[in-house]
Amino acid sequence: MTPSRRAFLLSGFGQLALAHLAAHADEPRPGVALNGGLHHPAKARRVIQVFLNGGMSQLDTFDFKPEVERRHGQTVDVGLKATATGTPGPVMKSPFKWKQHGRCGRWVTDVFPHLAACVDDLAFMMALASRSNVHGPASYLQTTGFLTPGFPAAGAWVGYALGRLTDDLPTFVALPDARGLPYNGMGNFSAGFLPAVHQGTVVRPGGPTPIPDLAPPASARFATPEAGTDGLALLRDMNARYAAERPGDSRLSARVEGYELAARMQLSAPEAFDLSRETARLRDRYGTDRPGADGAFARNCLLARRLVERGVRFVQVWSGAGGPTNNWDNHTSIPTELPPIARQVDQPVAALLADLKARGLWADTVVVFTTEFGRMPFTQSGVGRDHNGGTSVTWLAGAGVKGGTAHGASDEFSYLAAENCTTAHDLYATLLHLLGIDHERLTVRHNGIDRRLTDVHGHAVSAILE
Amino acid sequence: MTTRWTVGVLVAAALALPPGAAQPPAPADFARDVRPIFESRCISCHGATRQRGGLRLDTPAGIRAGGSSGAIIVPGNPGTSPLIRHVTGTGGAARMPAEGDPLTAAQIDTLRRWVEQKAPLPAAAPAETATKAPAPGWAFRPIVKPAVPAAPVGWVRNPIDHFVLAKLTANGLKPSPEADRRTLARRVFVTLTGLPPTADELDAFVADPAPDAYEKLIDRLLASPRYGERWARHWLDVAHYADSHGQDQDRFRPNAWPYRDYLIREFNADTPYARFVREQVAGDVLFPGNPDALVATGFLAAGPWDESGLRDINENSLDRQVARYLDRDDVVTSTMTTFAGLTVHCARCHDHKFDPVTQADYYALQAVFAGIDKAERAYDADPAVGRRRATLAAELALVRATNAADRALLAPERQAAVTAFEKTWRAAEGHWLVPEPQGLRAKQGSALTVLPDRSVLSGGPTPERDTYTATVTVPQKGLTALRVEVLCDDSLPHKGPGRCHNGNLHLSEVRVKVHPPGESAKAEAVKLRAATADFDQTGWGVARAIDGNAATAWGIHPAVGTPHRAVFEFEKPVGFEAGTTIAVELDQLHGGGHLIGRFRLAVTTAAAPGEAVRPIPTSIAAALAAAPRTAGQSAELARWAWERKLAADLAALPAQAKVYCGTNRFASDGSFRPAPTPRPVHVLKRGEVTRPGDQAQPGAVEVISTLPARFALADPEDEGQRRAALADWLTDPRNPLTWRVAVNRVWHYHVGRGIVDTPNDLGAMGGVPSHPELLDWLAAEFRDTGGSLKALHRLILTSATYRQAVRADSAAATKDADNRLLWRMNRAKLDAETVRDAVLLASGRLDLAMYGPPVPHFVSRPGIHVTPEADYDAFDVDAPAARRRSVYRFIFRTRPDPLLEALDCPDASQSAPVRGVSVGAPQALVLWNNKFLLRHAEHLAAAAGADPVRGVARRVLARDPTPAEAAAWGEYTRKHGAANLARVLLNSSEFLFVD
Repeated sequence: MTPSRRAFLLSGFGQLALAHLAAHADEPRPGVALNGGLHHPAKARRVIQVFLNGGMSQLDTFDFKPEVERRHGQTVDVGLKATATGTPGPVMKSPFKWKQHGRCGRWVTDVFPHLAACVDDLAFMMALASRSNVHGPASYLQTTGFLTPGFPAAGAWVGYALGRLTDDLPTFVALPDARGLPYNGMGNFSAGFLPAVHQGTVVRPGGPTPIPDLAPPASARFATPEAGTDGLALLRDMNARYAAERPGDSRLSARVEGYELAARMQLSAPEAFDLSRETARLRDRYGTDRPGADGAFARNCLLARRLVERGVRFVQVWSGAGGPTNNWDNHTSIPTELPPIARQVDQPVAALLADLKARGLWADTVVVFTTEFGRMPFTQSGVGRDHNGGTSVTWLAGAGVKGGTAHGASDEFSYLAAENCTTAHDLYATLLHLLGIDHERLTVRHNGIDRRLTDVHGHAVSAILE
Repeated sequence: MTTRWTVGVLVAAALALPPGAAQPPAPADFARDVRPIFESRCISCHGATRQRGGLRLDTPAGIRAGGSSGAIIVPGNPGTSPLIRHVTGTGGAARMPAEGDPLTAAQIDTLRRWVEQKAPLPAAAPAETATKAPAPGWAFRPIVKPAVPAAPVGWVRNPIDHFVLAKLTANGLKPSPEADRRTLARRVFVTLTGLPPTADELDAFVADPAPDAYEKLIDRLLASPRYGERWARHWLDVAHYADSHGQDQDRFRPNAWPYRDYLIREFNADTPYARFVREQVAGDVLFPGNPDALVATGFLAAGPWDESGLRDINENSLDRQVARYLDRDDVVTSTMTTFAGLTVHCARCHDHKFDPVTQADYYALQAVFAGIDKAERAYDADPAVGRRRATLAAELALVRATNAADRALLAPERQAAVTAFEKTWRAAEGHWLVPEPQGLRAKQGSALTVLPDRSVLSGGPTPERDTYTATVTVPQKGLTALRVEVLCDDSLPHKGPGRCHNGNLHLSEVRVKVHPPGESAKAEAVKLRAATADFDQTGWGVARAIDGNAATAWGIHPAVGTPHRAVFEFEKPVGFEAGTTIAVELDQLHGGGHLIGRFRLAVTTAAAPGEAVRPIPTSIAAALAAAPRTAGQSAELARWAWERKLAADLAALPAQAKVYCGTNRFASDGSFRPAPTPRPVHVLKRGEVTRPGDQAQPGAVEVISTLPARFALADPEDEGQRRAALADWLTDPRNPLTWRVAVNRVWHYHVGRGIVDTPNDLGAMGGVPSHPELLDWLAAEFRDTGGSLKALHRLILTSATYRQAVRADSAAATKDADNRLLWRMNRAKLDAETVRDAVLLASGRLDLAMYGPPVPHFVSRPGIHVTPEADYDAFDVDAPAARRRSVYRFIFRTRPDPLLEALDCPDASQSAPVRGVSVGAPQALVLWNNKFLLRHAEHLAAAAGADPVRGVARRVLARDPTPAEAAAWGEYTRKHGAANLARVLLNSSEFLFVD
């Protein structure tokens, strides 16, 4: 940040920020009690969701199947004639080494050495099925509860339901992979039909301003800090007078407050995004200096912790960008495509869990590690795997979550969810439950239907909760 | 406030502000207040079809009788009444409704007050005789034009006011006085054109002494093309239009915009509403040959499209079927909410819980659209060309179907056509002159050598790209074409004719100049009219060698190892008495060594030289050579020559335009193919594609008993008939939904809130009409007088109701905080596009050019996969494209414009009948710091004139500053400049709101 920018922040909006008002127009601010839960006492107040874009292979990470090992190379007829993008080949065991970890004895392959050490803190949904084998719809389902576009993302729902914990930062922040937006682009962070204020704020930590329009662009040279300060004072007088002449319309007074809240955000955001305030030792644990997208993802994990710590409700951290490569969509070669993307997340996410604990955030933060679907036990193009909406693995950790547990099981090939099957709706019913929300009672009427994050489905999975 | 967080949280509740003060308790009326609660939340389990716990709440008798555990009401005592205990989940009672959200606090309060009043019930409710649940709501009843209530002389101006005043009076409220002229004029400008007035326009109106100045203003604005732009934008919200597909492969739709232009034209032309609806549902079928009506079907394709699900994934997968049902669901939902305000999509998995729509109805509607896809359809913008094309195509089909043994082919005129063809062909073949090439040169160093047959061989090191030059001289004039033969040679890869490793070549551009021999100073360029080749590589047709674009070229892959010919016709015959020298330049600029390996030049004086290279099948060549010919050969030749002539005529027609629409006429793209006949649609149990039930027959909903629920079609396999039947159903004067929905939408966009405040849903889950009689009166008036939207606008705008001031009145607010009864006008906030357009207007840089392809407000570059990246920051806000009205901007579904999004521009993937109004911090940040606004603040300052304070104020606020403002703003401007003052005023509520 340049000195002049800092000066602007301090002298521009800053003075107005002192006159902060709690009431807010289009985002009603809940009372303290609501932070304890909307429908019942909450276990958690904030969420970090790690989304593995492309479809993480459960068969090469967490879902160990002896039958797959045994039948490797054999053709097995499960009645599947065609996969999403090809035809099923023979059964393929994982090229990676399986080992049991932790007191709970959870199987993990060696692509996740750091996460393997955390399994006693994780609660697994081992048989989470999708309703689609296609990235677009499946990603929408996993982020919004619906296969089609235009529905609010989970983060938007949570912000809508619970309101803000802070006036200084957005409520819902999305941190895309440094290489690009995921499938569906901004659709995954949309507020859908909820008020626009609930949409995910896409943060690009590397950009000139992490939050768009946080400060005037350098090209607007006339917009000096002094002109900003005096101008905001002038504007405040003008808007306050306009509002006073029109009593009874709280939108008008809310606009006056809006500029004051914006001022607070402008002051606080740069500090929140400044990772240099963390110790070198901690940054090293996350791996923030790793080259390329690995380091960028690690920085996003650390940033996620800083953001939830400062009151952001919902942070989504994306691994992988949309497209055929550099994500979890490993059609061509599991042995060569999976390890690099797994390495991207393994150390930072493990460090994040440890850091949350160290900071006391573990007590009220839930971490969700999820993906849009799993992959096939059968080969595609020799050593790749095609999409499989039949089953996948998701885990939760943190507040209210019973570590070292697992719920559900896929069939002997990890082809379909078989026992205690779950869905995105169950995942979100569970998550909302932890946040003190009954997922069936959080509704918004849109075009004749009382819409929910969980559509007309979903059950909170008590087996993985404390 | 708690209710807001628990049940039925309406979007509106979060968007609109909390009502200032709570309403005082009012008596609860069974029919008005209580029955709607029972109907919407209780009777699906306690009604005619099901009586859980022995209880039915759809009849007074049932309510009195209670359930199997006894009475549900203790009159006068809510606390002990089981009804209240159940809906509140207190006193040990199970919370009711058992499914879904609990009742809202307001609903519970209503029931409580009703019980306190000892639960008065009518003797017998109409529902007593109901046999079918749920009962059709008010919107399904036929429209009966109500009598206009009497009103005292004075305030009222037209029938609208009679209805409004009657309600106000009944509720002890009074209307507000008329807004002052300045305020009223600004309001009308924004309502009709989406642009605020300029200061001069306002001054002129205020100064106009004519008694009908206001009416004249309305007429002027209705006649302005800006009107169509404004109202088309409203319609695009509802149609959920965008210029990209959405989903994970969010590809651009380069030809969606003709539909947007159609809307602008139709609103401006005031097309009767029924026609407008019919065109959008089935214009291609109902008005064949009318390009506007065809473009109208862009409505059906306005929504998102799942490219990977519908095109890329395995065609045999279940996901493909799911994608098709979901895509049709979008079309059904959009059509039925837009035109009929009916939420049929609620019946995808089960019968509608609240409205009388069955699952069979829903899938009948899916069947209506089972023959179309969202795709690009070619059409002729000129109807005459369209007719000619249709005639030629029909004739061509006929000829192709003609049996070669058909005696008619031996008729004299058909054989005469053969003779004529032979003549042209032989002439074209025989008149080529092949002179010795001279002056050979290759810019990048290919070595060119002349061979004995006068061809030129290229050798030596292969440069990436090259340009060959050669001249030939002939004694003739009247030259009509140049021929370039590309020939094989053993020295070339795959024997050529190209030098590329695969034998290919790419001829980027051909340039020809002529001059008299020896007088190269007199050389003049020859315009090339047409190019023909015996073979074109896909996507690399020979026309690309004369398109003036160095990036495109003629190629011949994969037909390598064999010679090819291309003929370039001159616009008019060229040459000189003394003979003619022709200088030819052959650009080969594609790169990768795509060079010509061996070529030969020739010129001709023949009249139709292109004939010489157009391929002729072997059998035809044999027939042409045969002497004498058999009758069979003569017939075959006649058929072939006829077909060739027709094909040439067709090809000579002007190129077709394209529109992205709902159609089955489109070119296949991989496994995305048009359905020749409608695809079978099944009633899916629980909406699961794996559980198909009966096949659905095309139709609409049964509940409108005066209209056919299932369509009797002459040919059910003709998909067009299905849509035409739905268009008939929708626009039938007896369909009460269509007309109510239309006038309610128009009302919403004038007053800020519909008579029903859920314009996409007039069903039981929708809002309760504030003025049901007025709605019906307007609907009947609109329907029966020809469906003119402009007449409807005039009616609303000239009403005293619309002309009211936005008055603050705490006494009135106590009675009707939401102003549902219209005791004043509603204050509006400028919507996203209007803010942007108003900024452009204020800065003097608004470009009012209409129509055409969408203008992106971002810089796009290829993305990682299909979806391009959009950089809104990098876009030059001073670019010409940025000056157009916002209705012309490119709408990119998954990469929305941050400025417009912050101003509540809706997600284009869902229909948005009502826009949100947010005023919070994120918006403040954007308005204060966004570079578009800041740049235009500078333009504003530059245009402000000698008195910058007054200049900026008049441009932004359309008024002069007050003396106090002039002093304060003057001081600020002296200190920081007029651009900063403009920045402040552009952020003012006065600019952003309309009283």
